[in-house]
Amino acid sequence: MKFSYLIGEGFKNVFKNKKSTGASLMIMCATMMIFGLFFLIGQNVNYMLREIESEQGMQVFIKKEATEIEIEKLKQDIQKIEYVSTTKYVSKEEAFNIVKERYSEYGRFLEGYDIDRNPFKASYVVTLTDLSKSEEVRTQIEKLDSVNNIEMRDKTINALVTIANGVRWISFGILVILIFISIFIISNTIKLTVHARRKEISIMKYVGATNSFIRWPFIVEGIIIGVVAAMISILILGVSYNIIIGKIMESSITNMISITLLPFSEIVELVIVVYLGLGIGIGSIGSIISMRKYLEV
Amino acid sequence: MIEFRNVSKTYTAGKENVEAVHNANFTIEKGEFAFLVGTSGSGKSTLIKMILKEENPTEGNIIINGKDTTYLKQKRVPYLRRSMGVVFQDFRLLPDKTVYENVAFAMYIVNATPKHIRRQVPMVLSLVGLSGKAKMYPNELSGGEQQRVALARALVNNPSMLIADEPTGNLDPETAWDIMTLLNDINMRGTTVVVATHAKDIVDRMKKRVIHIDKGIIDRDDKKGGYNSEI
Ligand SMILES: Nc1ncnc2c1ncn2[C@@H]1O[C@H](COP(=O)(O)OP(=O)(O)O)[C@@H](O)[C@H]1O
Ligand SMILES: [Mg+2]
Repeated sequence: MKFSYLIGEGFKNVFKNKKSTGASLMIMCATMMIFGLFFLIGQNVNYMLREIESEQGMQVFIKKEATEIEIEKLKQDIQKIEYVSTTKYVSKEEAFNIVKERYSEYGRFLEGYDIDRNPFKASYVVTLTDLSKSEEVRTQIEKLDSVNNIEMRDKTINALVTIANGVRWISFGILVILIFISIFIISNTIKLTVHARRKEISIMKYVGATNSFIRWPFIVEGIIIGVVAAMISILILGVSYNIIIGKIMESSITNMISITLLPFSEIVELVIVVYLGLGIGIGSIGSIISMRKYLEV
Repeated sequence: MIEFRNVSKTYTAGKENVEAVHNANFTIEKGEFAFLVGTSGSGKSTLIKMILKEENPTEGNIIINGKDTTYLKQKRVPYLRRSMGVVFQDFRLLPDKTVYENVAFAMYIVNATPKHIRRQVPMVLSLVGLSGKAKMYPNELSGGEQQRVALARALVNNPSMLIADEPTGNLDPETAWDIMTLLNDINMRGTTVVVATHAKDIVDRMKKRVIHIDKGIIDRDDKKGGYNSEI
């Protein structure tokens, strides 16, 4: 059986029932998008978890008016405190550049700022030898001069773990529902094509075509629908994700909250692999189910 | 060679059981020409379907070319069918394919090479007398011509036997006779031919073996008989 024959027959099938194919494409895209929403939230929560885990402890922001000497003294004072492990200085220029580089694709939100008109504060990232003592350490650091505010990096983690687990379960549930709905829809669409070509199938059987020869064009049909739905979903998802991330970054700058989100470019490969896998899997299973009855004779 | 050994077939339709064939025994040798005759509903198509393994016998064994097909795995059925060409009363051509494509289709399905297809299809079209009509579509042909296309398709893969279920049922008597002569020509070239029919006149004129079935029971088997043997 030639590859070109398969692809040709598969496309012929796709266009045999345009309405039904269109409907199943749309429904598959919708379900894939709902799944994508939770998938992306999950990816971001996981990402935040990893980021935070790697720097558990706290970030001590330094008053803008602090002098270099005061900043150096602050470091020595912090290091004297029990349970403090490391103290790493992040200048406001560094903070600016880190954000600017990571989110270069969303550059617009930093418009009007530069190294000299810098919205960030310098800080010390403090890690601890014992996380359970973070409150004690915090109260001691708070008493020191030049400290503007302290952002804890250990409290958020428990909440995040809860969120991450929740999101994981929800997206798993949605994934299962998505798979069932999509298989049902695709198999119904293919049933229509099989029905439209039943005469051809029956002739093929009398002439001695093997079941796989009869079945493959319909599997290709299912795969084509699945893959097209996946590609449309990836496109819509990518564009809207970029818009949303851009908006969030903008507001996080104006509200001075530090928030770390995944740029789409860092997850696009994973999204493509997951979606194509789903499309191909759902398409072929759907068509095998729809063909079962017809191949018995 | 086709051999039926004590073959019975009972259909179950809902709660009712219909015994379409009862204890059939016969052998059709390689190269033979045999008619299966009987009134409508007597069980001819059921015999044919069991030869094609479209239906399985409820009892007994069917041996095709020396192999008992009774317990043949479903996966092997396509290969059994490649040893027989089939034609039906309603031709069963694909309307959106030309004459040439309808015939080539049968070769494509069994993975014939394009070169082989290009050589074989014109040959078989000339055998059935349709050389000039290769590019036409089924709806542009007469009933007799359509049945010739179906015959060409059945023969194109060189099967050892040709099975025909009422091949002349939709044709006028003259065209029907032409088709029967063609079937006879095919038989002369060495192909075993089995024809189910209730066309009495033709069967009488052909002077071939006649297996007569009545209400599922084979009651006559004449080597050179007519539809009603005593005549
Ligand atoms: N699929 C089926 N289910 C139930 N009964 C059937 C089926 N096919 C045929 N029959 C019955 O079996 C008998 C023989 O039918 P058939 O073999 O088609 O006869 P013929 O071809 O000689 O007209 C008839 O009584 C018919 O109603
Ligand atoms: Mg019949």
